[in-house]
Amino acid sequence: MSYVLEANDLTKQFHKERILNRVQFQLKKGEVLSIVGPSGSGKTTLLRTLAGLEKPTEGTLSMSGHDITEKKANERSIGLVFQQPLLFPHMTVEENIRYGAKFARSSKKDSVTDLLSAIELSDYRGYYPAEISGGQQQRVALARAIATEPDVILFDEPFSSLDPKLRHDLRIWLREFLAERSITSIFVTHDTEEAMLMGDRVGVFHEGTFQQIDRPEVLYKEPANAFVARFIGGHFVLSEHEYIPLSNCSVTTNAYETGRRYMATIQHITFQHGQTIAHMSMEDLNKTTTLPVAGAEVGQTVWLSFPDEQICAFGGRAV
Amino acid sequence: MKWSSNKSWLLFLPAVLFLILPLYGLAAAISQSFQQQGEWTLSAYQQLFQSDRFLSAVGFSLEVAFLSSLLSLLIGLLFTRSFYPYLASHTPRLIVWMPMLFPHFVWGYMVILLLSETGVLAQVFTLLGGDDFPTLTQDSRGIGIILTYVWKEVPFVILMLLPVYATIKPEYYDLVKTLGGGAWSQFKQVEWPHLLPVMIETFLIVFAFTISAYEVPALLGTTFPEMLSVLSYNWFYGSSWDDRSLAFAAMVLLSLFILILTFIGYIYMNKKRFRMMKGKS
Amino acid sequence: MKKSTFSLFALILFLFPVFMLVLQSVSETWRFQSGEGIQFQLDSFDVLLSDPNLWEATGWSFLIGTVVLLINLVIGLGTGKALTLYSFRGKSLVEAILLAPILIPVLAIAMGLHLFMIRVGLADTWLGVVLIHLVPTVPYSIKIFHNAYRQLGVSMMEQPLTLGSSPLYQLFTIELPLMKPAIRSVTFLTIVISLSQYAITAIIGGGNVITLPMIFFPFLDTANAAIMAAFSIWFSFLPFGMYVLVEGALLLLPYSKKPWRISQ
Repeated sequence: MSYVLEANDLTKQFHKERILNRVQFQLKKGEVLSIVGPSGSGKTTLLRTLAGLEKPTEGTLSMSGHDITEKKANERSIGLVFQQPLLFPHMTVEENIRYGAKFARSSKKDSVTDLLSAIELSDYRGYYPAEISGGQQQRVALARAIATEPDVILFDEPFSSLDPKLRHDLRIWLREFLAERSITSIFVTHDTEEAMLMGDRVGVFHEGTFQQIDRPEVLYKEPANAFVARFIGGHFVLSEHEYIPLSNCSVTTNAYETGRRYMATIQHITFQHGQTIAHMSMEDLNKTTTLPVAGAEVGQTVWLSFPDEQICAFGGRAV
Repeated sequence: MKWSSNKSWLLFLPAVLFLILPLYGLAAAISQSFQQQGEWTLSAYQQLFQSDRFLSAVGFSLEVAFLSSLLSLLIGLLFTRSFYPYLASHTPRLIVWMPMLFPHFVWGYMVILLLSETGVLAQVFTLLGGDDFPTLTQDSRGIGIILTYVWKEVPFVILMLLPVYATIKPEYYDLVKTLGGGAWSQFKQVEWPHLLPVMIETFLIVFAFTISAYEVPALLGTTFPEMLSVLSYNWFYGSSWDDRSLAFAAMVLLSLFILILTFIGYIYMNKKRFRMMKGKS
Repeated sequence: MKKSTFSLFALILFLFPVFMLVLQSVSETWRFQSGEGIQFQLDSFDVLLSDPNLWEATGWSFLIGTVVLLINLVIGLGTGKALTLYSFRGKSLVEAILLAPILIPVLAIAMGLHLFMIRVGLADTWLGVVLIHLVPTVPYSIKIFHNAYRQLGVSMMEQPLTLGSSPLYQLFTIELPLMKPAIRSVTFLTIVISLSQYAITAIIGGGNVITLPMIFFPFLDTANAAIMAAFSIWFSFLPFGMYVLVEGALLLLPYSKKPWRISQ
C-alpha cells in the first residue's frame, strides 16, 4: 500500500552542518504523528522541508506514491499552521477562511460556514483578526488551513504562544477535531506530554533524525536508546546500554537490599498528582533523579536500589 | 526561505538592469573625461587644476554642501529628539513633511519671495524704518543656497531619524536612569549607537545631493563663486567642444570624492557592526 | 507647554512658507514697504493657466512621472521582496550598491549617458527622460519596499504559499494591500523627485521634452511674484493628482472595501 506521506533519506545541509540526517518515516491516512525533540534538533526544518519551503539536499518525498520532492510549496497538498496564527490582518475571519477555500480542489459552497461553526466562531465571522483573542486566531488559522483540503496538515508548535490553560483546552479540542474528520497530520512540539496527547504515534527527533517512532506506550516501555529514555522520562538511565524503569526502583533508608544500590541525598521536594516527589542527587553517579518518596525530607540520605532482574537493555524498535 | 531555486534571482533582475544606467553613465563620463578631439589625454585634468575658476568652485561647493548637510542634520536631530512623541500622529507629521511636496527649486523660489532684497522680510524691514537689508539670496557667500537646502532637507532628516527614535525601547532609558545616568549619558548610551549609522547614511545622501545638484545654486547662486554643478553644466553647454571634457573631468572628480567618502563611511559602520556582533557572542 | 512649542516650530518652519506661497498666488504682488495691504486676485492663475505651454508641460511631466512611478514600483517591489526573503553572503554590500546611485552625482550620469542616448535614439525623447529620472528615484523605492517587506515578515509571505497561492495572486491579495503606506510614500517621493529635475531633463531631453521645470526657470525672468507663486503651487497639484489616482487604484485591490475598520 502507498502511504499518504513518505520520506526517504531526507537530508538537509547548510554549509557544513547537517540539519536533517537521512530522515525516514511513513504516514498512514488519518494518522496523527507527533514529533517531539529539544529545540535546535531540526524539527522545524523538517516541517518546512515537508511543506516545500526548504529544498532537501538529498532524499525524496512522496505523497500517495507520487514523488513530490521537486514540487513547490503552493503546489503541494500540504497545509502548514505556524507558531503564530499569521492571519491576514486586512481580511475578516470569514475572508481568511475563504482565502484558504479558494485553493481547495472540490468547491463545496457551504464548507466555510461549516468550518466557522466547527471552530465555534460563527458569531465572529465579520471580525478582523486584531479584534479576536490569540486562541481564537489560532483556531481561524487552523480552519483556513483545513479549508484548502490538504491531504496532510503540519502543525509547528501551534499553541506555544498561548497561555497554559488555553493551550490545554485547545489541545483536546484539536485532537477531537482531527480525529472526527480523520485528518492526516504531523504535530511538532517540544513538550513530551503534548506530543503523547496529540499523536497516534510519537517520533522523538534529535540531531536531525528520528531516534524512535512508535506509539507513546511503546516509547515509554521500550525506549530505543538512552536519549529517548531520558527525553521521555520515567527511567533511570544507567549507561548508554542499560536502564531501569523508575517504578522498579525502591527507595529505602537502610542499605540492606541486594543488587545495585546507590546513595542519594534529597535536595528538594515537590508535590504532584497527590504524591510527594523527591528530587535527589546521587553523588557516586554524578546524576540527579526524581521519584515519589513517601515521607521524604529535605537533606535526608536514602538508598536507591536497582534489582538486577529489572535492569533492561535498550532495544525498542529503533529507526 | 533560502534560495529555493535559481528562478528566485528573477526578482533581482529589474534592479540589475536598472544598475546598468548609473554604472554605464559613470563609466562613459570617466572615459569621455580622458578624451579631447578623439584623442586620449590627461589634459582636461591638467587644465582643471590650473583653473582658478574650478579651484574656487571646489572650495565654495565643499563649504556650502558641508554647512548645509551639517546644519540640516543638527536641526533635524534636535527637532526629532525634542518632538518625536508628537510626530506619532498623522497631522503633525503631514505638516513637517510639507516642504517635501515641493521640488527644491520651488522651495528656492519661496526663499527668494521671503528673504530677497525685495522680499517680504525686506519689505517689512523697510516699512519699519530700517534700511540696508542684508543680501541673503544670490549672494557670494551662498547663504541663500544653504538656507534653501537646510529648510528643505530638515524634514528629510526627520523622516530618516524618526524610525530610529520609534524603535528605541523606553526600558533602555529606565536602565540608564537607574544606573544614575543624566540626560547626556541617556543620549550617548541609548540613542547614539542607534542613531550613528542612520546619521552617517543621511549625511552622505544630503551631502552628495547638495554638492552636486544644479537647480538650487542656479536659482539662488551668483556668477562668482559658482557651485561645481553650475560650472560643469555651463561647460557642458559651453561654446567650445573642449569645455565638455572639462565638465566630465570635474564631475568625475566629484563622483570619486563622494565615493571615497561613502567608502570610508561604509567601512567605519561595518567595523562598528562587526565589533558589536563580536561583543554579543 | 512642549506641545505648543512643537506646534509653533512646525507651523513657522514648515507650514508658514507654504501659506505665504498660497497667499501670494491669490493676491497682487506685495508692496508692504509702502504700507500697502493685501489685495486679493485670481488673475495670476488665469494668466498661468491660459498659457498653452503650461498645459503641455504639465502633460509631459505627468506622463513621465507616471511611467517613472510604474517602473519604480516594479523594481522596488521585486528587489525589496528578494532582499527580505533571501539571505546570502555579501548582502550588505548589495544593499550599499543599490543605494549608491543616489550618491553619485546624477548630473555626471546624465552627461555620461548623453552620447549613448544619442546613439540608441533615446536622446530628445520622453523615454530617455524617463530612464534618467529612474536614477535618483529607484534607490529610494527599493529602500522603502525593503523596509515594508521586512515589517510584513517572511512568515507572512510563506503562509499564503503553503495555502496554495501563486506568487502573483499573493502579491495582489496579501502584499500590496498590506503595503499601502509604502506605496503612498513611493508615489509621493517618485513624482516629486521627477518634478525636481531641471538639469538632467535638459541634457537628455535636449530642450525637446518640455516638462514643468523646463518652463519654470525661464518664467522666473519674465513673470511677476503672484504668477510665480501660482506656478509654485501648481507644482504641488501633480503629486496630489497622482496620489488620488494611486489611491483609486489601491481601492481596486481585493479586500480593500472597509479600510476604516482595519486596525493598523
